[in-house]
Amino acid sequence: MSMYYFHLSNDQKVPDVDGTDLSDRSAARAHAFGVARELMFRSKGMLDHDWSQWRMLVHDDGGNELFSFPLADFDTGNGK
Amino acid sequence: MNNAPELGRPDNRLLAALPRETLASFGQDLKQVSLSQGTVCYEAGDRIDRVYFPISGMISLFVAGRNGEIVETGIIGREGAAGLQSALGERRSYNRVTIQIPGHFAVISAGHFEQAVSNSAPLRDLVLRYVETRWAEAQQIAACNAIHSGSPRLCRWLLQAADRTGSDHVPLTQEYLANMLGVRRTTVTLLAQELQERGAIRYSRGRITLLDRKMLEASSCDCYEAIKHENLSLRIGVKI
Repeated sequence: MSMYYFHLSNDQKVPDVDGTDLSDRSAARAHAFGVARELMFRSKGMLDHDWSQWRMLVHDDGGNELFSFPLADFDTGNGK
Repeated sequence: MNNAPELGRPDNRLLAALPRETLASFGQDLKQVSLSQGTVCYEAGDRIDRVYFPISGMISLFVAGRNGEIVETGIIGREGAAGLQSALGERRSYNRVTIQIPGHFAVISAGHFEQAVSNSAPLRDLVLRYVETRWAEAQQIAACNAIHSGSPRLCRWLLQAADRTGSDHVPLTQEYLANMLGVRRTTVTLLAQELQERGAIRYSRGRITLLDRKMLEASSCDCYEAIKHENLSLRIGVKI
């Protein structure tokens, strides 16, 4: 198990200060996609909380970026 | 929070709404106790043996899924009471009901309460009106969970918890907030962290402090205003 961190960034940053203990990189990928789906769920078009312009950056315990992707990949058409 | 005497004017809206003689008729049967986080009031299916009137803490209602996952479906603070329906006869709890924020609670046995209600028309009337208000609240929350995204729901919930405990310090774990929103813990961390970046809250493990209510209200869904009991009461023509 190792710690993974799921930060958000556009022109600002929202750090994942807590991190999550996961078995390996593929579990981290699944976790990242799950979080992205939860953030994007019905958020598009909301004034304060539209996450569609943000990226998720996944870091390991040493602060190295493992991979990143745009949250817009998880646009569910506003849940419809 | 000071230790209020047994029968002053307790800082619980329902008890405060009672005629003085009804409150006095509870006598020693109504006790003020201090309850810690995690205390179980009733498991789902348990007979309701006591009625809990929060004075400073908060009670949560949960529905459990088949695989053990739990989702919070309501909170009760000083605007209400848990187990009030037992006034109408022996009842079982639909939900798992626990103390989520420790504090002071006025507690009376269901038997004593039922007896008091059978002797007091104003008390019976209050019980019915409160049950109606909670029914309306449950419908608004069902709609909120179905149509609103995580962040406005988190704002709505934080405001509601602060109102119902009378404190801007909300001592809750991330697991709880994750269950409340039905999302992963990381999602809670990110949503709370984003609110902190904007100066709306201060967030550290296990504790959220509301810093800017106006900003939270602007970031919440309309459900916050809808669910305030004074607004619900007005809307359905029920006065408490």
